Amino acid sequence: MSRIILNRRAFLAATASAGAIAALGGKGWAAEQPVKGGRLIVAGDSEPANLNPAIVASNGVFFVASKVIEPLAEQSYEGKDGLSPRLATSWEGSPDGLSATFKLREGVTWHDGKSFTSADVAFSALEVWKKLQNLGRVVFKNLDSVDTPDDHTAILKFSQPTPFQLIRNALPVVTSVVPKHIYEGTDIAKNPANQQLVGTGPFKFGEYKPGEYYLLKRNDAYWQKDEPLLDEIVYQFLPDRAAAGNALEAEQIQLAAFSAVPLADLDRISKVPGLKVYANGYEGLTYQLIVEINHRRKELADLKVRQAIAHAIDHDFVVKTIFLGYAKSSSGPVPAYDKTFFEPDVTKYAFDPAKAEALLDEAGYKRGADGNRFTLKLLPAPFFNETKQFGNYLRQALAKIGIDAQIVSNDTPAHLKAVYTDHDFDITVATPVYRSDPAISTTILFESGLPAGVPFSNQYGYANAEIDKLIKDAASTIDADKRAGLYKELQKKAAHDLPLINVAEFSFITVARDSVQNVSDNPRWAVSNWSNVWVKP
Amino acid sequence: MPPLVSLLLKRLLGALPVLAIVLVGSFLLLEAASGDAVDSYVARSGTLDAEQLAQLRQEWGLDKGPAYRFKAYATALAQGDLGWSTAYQRPVGAVIPERLPITLLLMTLATTLAFFIGSLLGVIAGASPGSLRDRFLSVTSLAIYAVPGFWLGLVLIVIFAVDLRWLPVGGIESIASGKSGFARLGDIGAHLILPVTSLAMVYLALYLRLMRDRMGEIWHEPFVQSLRARGIGHWRIVWRHVARNAVLPVVTMLGLQAAAMLGGSVVVESVFAIPGFGRLAAEAVARRDTPLLLGIILCSAITVIVANLLVDLAYGKLDPRVRTGR
Amino acid sequence: MNAWRNLNGEGRMGAVILTALILMALLAPILAPGDPLAISGEPLLRPFADAAHPLGTDRLGRDVLAGLLHGTRTTLLVAFFSAAAALIVGSVVGTLAGFLGGIADAILMRITEAFQTVPGFLLALAAISVTGPSVPTLIFAISVGTWTQAARVTRAEVLSLRERDFVAAARTLGMHPLEIAFREILPNAFGPAASLAAISVAAAILIEAALSFLGFGDPNRVTWGSMIAEGRTVLRSAPYLSIVPGIALVVTVLAVHLLGRGLSRSERLQP
Repeated sequence: MSRIILNRRAFLAATASAGAIAALGGKGWAAEQPVKGGRLIVAGDSEPANLNPAIVASNGVFFVASKVIEPLAEQSYEGKDGLSPRLATSWEGSPDGLSATFKLREGVTWHDGKSFTSADVAFSALEVWKKLQNLGRVVFKNLDSVDTPDDHTAILKFSQPTPFQLIRNALPVVTSVVPKHIYEGTDIAKNPANQQLVGTGPFKFGEYKPGEYYLLKRNDAYWQKDEPLLDEIVYQFLPDRAAAGNALEAEQIQLAAFSAVPLADLDRISKVPGLKVYANGYEGLTYQLIVEINHRRKELADLKVRQAIAHAIDHDFVVKTIFLGYAKSSSGPVPAYDKTFFEPDVTKYAFDPAKAEALLDEAGYKRGADGNRFTLKLLPAPFFNETKQFGNYLRQALAKIGIDAQIVSNDTPAHLKAVYTDHDFDITVATPVYRSDPAISTTILFESGLPAGVPFSNQYGYANAEIDKLIKDAASTIDADKRAGLYKELQKKAAHDLPLINVAEFSFITVARDSVQNVSDNPRWAVSNWSNVWVKP
Repeated sequence: MPPLVSLLLKRLLGALPVLAIVLVGSFLLLEAASGDAVDSYVARSGTLDAEQLAQLRQEWGLDKGPAYRFKAYATALAQGDLGWSTAYQRPVGAVIPERLPITLLLMTLATTLAFFIGSLLGVIAGASPGSLRDRFLSVTSLAIYAVPGFWLGLVLIVIFAVDLRWLPVGGIESIASGKSGFARLGDIGAHLILPVTSLAMVYLALYLRLMRDRMGEIWHEPFVQSLRARGIGHWRIVWRHVARNAVLPVVTMLGLQAAAMLGGSVVVESVFAIPGFGRLAAEAVARRDTPLLLGIILCSAITVIVANLLVDLAYGKLDPRVRTGR
Repeated sequence: MNAWRNLNGEGRMGAVILTALILMALLAPILAPGDPLAISGEPLLRPFADAAHPLGTDRLGRDVLAGLLHGTRTTLLVAFFSAAAALIVGSVVGTLAGFLGGIADAILMRITEAFQTVPGFLLALAAISVTGPSVPTLIFAISVGTWTQAARVTRAEVLSLRERDFVAAARTLGMHPLEIAFREILPNAFGPAASLAAISVAAAILIEAALSFLGFGDPNRVTWGSMIAEGRTVLRSAPYLSIVPGIALVVTVLAVHLLGRGLSRSERLQP
């Protein structure tokens, strides 16, 4: 097969044709009956201290918890508004933006046998999402109360107009429902059920062996008929970077998500018989490779210098060599995947070192006797292999235009402290996540006036009144098209003024044994409920 | 009280000042680190707003000064409480007992393997210093000594677990296998072969060399010469006299290496995905979990002290001139 | 060249290899000019495939040979300086403890023991995460974990030297006690500590490699450890990336050991 799968579309086409060939051979995939039972062993990612997705809405938590605790709706490739119903069967926002009505699924029970009702949703929304959840505190900032006219209707009431578009886009991430009867009257953040999860999902929480594994077991009373198909899911923790690939090859695990198999090893592993590489299934959690800039530094406060840095970066090299094709060049804070908000027509900065040098000369930073114009402190985030590699590349790219970038490498806590609290950096390499709506975790990178110490936010000393106004207006614009228009305007402004430099957008790769079926069938697959996954015996 | 227990208690009491220095030192070291447990938490769980951050810092005592925290820690410790692990959100006293036995098992097996095979090969090399056999073993052991343990581990995995599929890739036992008794022991044994080998190799080489070098010296001693003159057989002299005397410095080394081996387990455990103490230590540092790290360092110091006590006892058994409790 | 004559075959071999390595380190900027981290070719070129990159290139297209040569510099620099720092600190502490005796001895030796009961590698790991990795902090972190052995050895030697005639003579001459300690005793006690040098250098090289493996290498410099660490993600598909620096590492550690043993043996031969 092709050596490198260049993009998702090409990949999908390739699998489709492989399927077609198989069908001609008389054994069409579609014709195959799913087999129930069996255990799926997955490479585990991290061991979060708090596994409750209603409190900690992060991918590390969702990866495990999404099988146990369900949101009101999940993303889908073909559903209306890109959603498919889970605990809610329908949703509607009022024209004034002051309320949102959810019809809830009937006949759903919690893992301990009690019935799921609108009271659980009301409790989760008011006590957990709004008060405790990292993202919910933004999305449900103006949530005032929740009406429950009957057991299967929940009406969210807002004190200020809140765009329903935002609520809808945020549903998969921020609306994990937890049981009221277990949490009510307790210290929610410290409830033992934050580890021993109780939900409505297709799998029940089985066992947690610290340092070894999580074990999830089939929920026989799941509301979706004939699902789940698997008996057990095991997440085995493999701290070493080479471990997942080895374990897959040795058939000791069957699936590694979130690029647990390093990109560099994919070319080889894709040729191993019995293994399959999936480049899709992560569109709903796109990561962005960006260069953060400290505008307090006099050279960097100069737009020409920022433009020069943008012109010095070869996006093609980044995509092809660092990400081995598993990424896309990007021009702004919204990924091209999001058709609603993406604005293609923005200022672009072609790879042009000569122009970069000219801009730096214009700005008055000539090369000195040693060939250097000035020195920058570069802090690559230690989160991914690729951020470090891009850091190494950026240092070389900047050296070519006469900027001496010295890499400062820190471990995770020291990196966060240096960048977001102490502002002790000049430029960084960072990877913010785009979560289906700019208001969830993207505008915070541009908005000014945030207190020091808030991670993954504008701690860059950058303030732009126009951008601030766009963000503020969009927060209360109910009309979906108008709201999208404001964010498109924001992208144009950001691309022009370069508060930070967007380089690429990337997501992850799943590698699985070819016996595992229904992999990557929705845009948040790794963090969805896997109720239809099965393993060919 | 049995003499062994009272000796152990005496040693530990004597070590109290040392333990105190260790604790204060490690505490200060981690306090000097940039970023705290909340920074580490946020990196894993996504961003929090300023209010939540402040609340979390207050809850974990991070809003107060280091002096306050140390006092609180020391007070609790005096009452036998090891504190609260911020990374695992459980008491340190519950986290450590899950991990320590695994590393102790790994270390004991690796030490035993390294000691017996290392000194056996040392005897073979040292039986005739300068021979081809000696030169071969000497250079080979040096080469082994120069191979980083993690590298050896990675290569062993590729050969024995991935290509040949004789042994598991990692972990301490098969997951939720329901095995018990001998089946479970066998399962754990199979999981431990590669990590024990990777950890033991460097010490095996070390003990081989120590044994061989010391034997080389003993051959020159007058008492050996006179044994030879009396016409006693070569191998009898080797085993009864030369090797027997040469093993003493190796035994001393066993105790000294206990701490080093604990350090080596950090890397080996992460290569082989073993939920042990070394990996926990690295995790505690990375997540700025001061109480957990202090608990780990305290336990590893006690482990080292006990290991040295055992070595001293063994030494007394081997060398009649030394009495325990000296 | 008395020393050379006294060396045995193994020792001479070690000396030759080490000299060659030091030459490599010194000549690196001439043999491979420019920044060894510069991206100079196609990524993942195999060794011997392209004359411009005799040992191939890595994931980003950096020349492996240039990395190897410049890596010799940093690796040896870190190893020698951290061994030297460990020896110096250790022997000063050992001399003071042995010479002063009493409370000072007790305090210094408790501190030494405290360092010894904590795994040296763990200490180095903690120290490096506190300071952030760079060449000076690597030297610091490695010596923090390794100085205690020199301290113990020196102290034992000082204790036996303290009562010797020449020390008594210095006392009667009215020399300051500290002067006696550092001018008369330390030089004599340093010998046994220096015999640890070979082990210390070899250990430092291995610790640096292990720290790099865990992600704590100086990002602005190449070391063999960092090359191995970067190469290991492609261990299966491009094994040369970790084997080439790995061989360099083994050869160096071997040479240091051979020379060290050769030296200590020749010392022993001289009465």
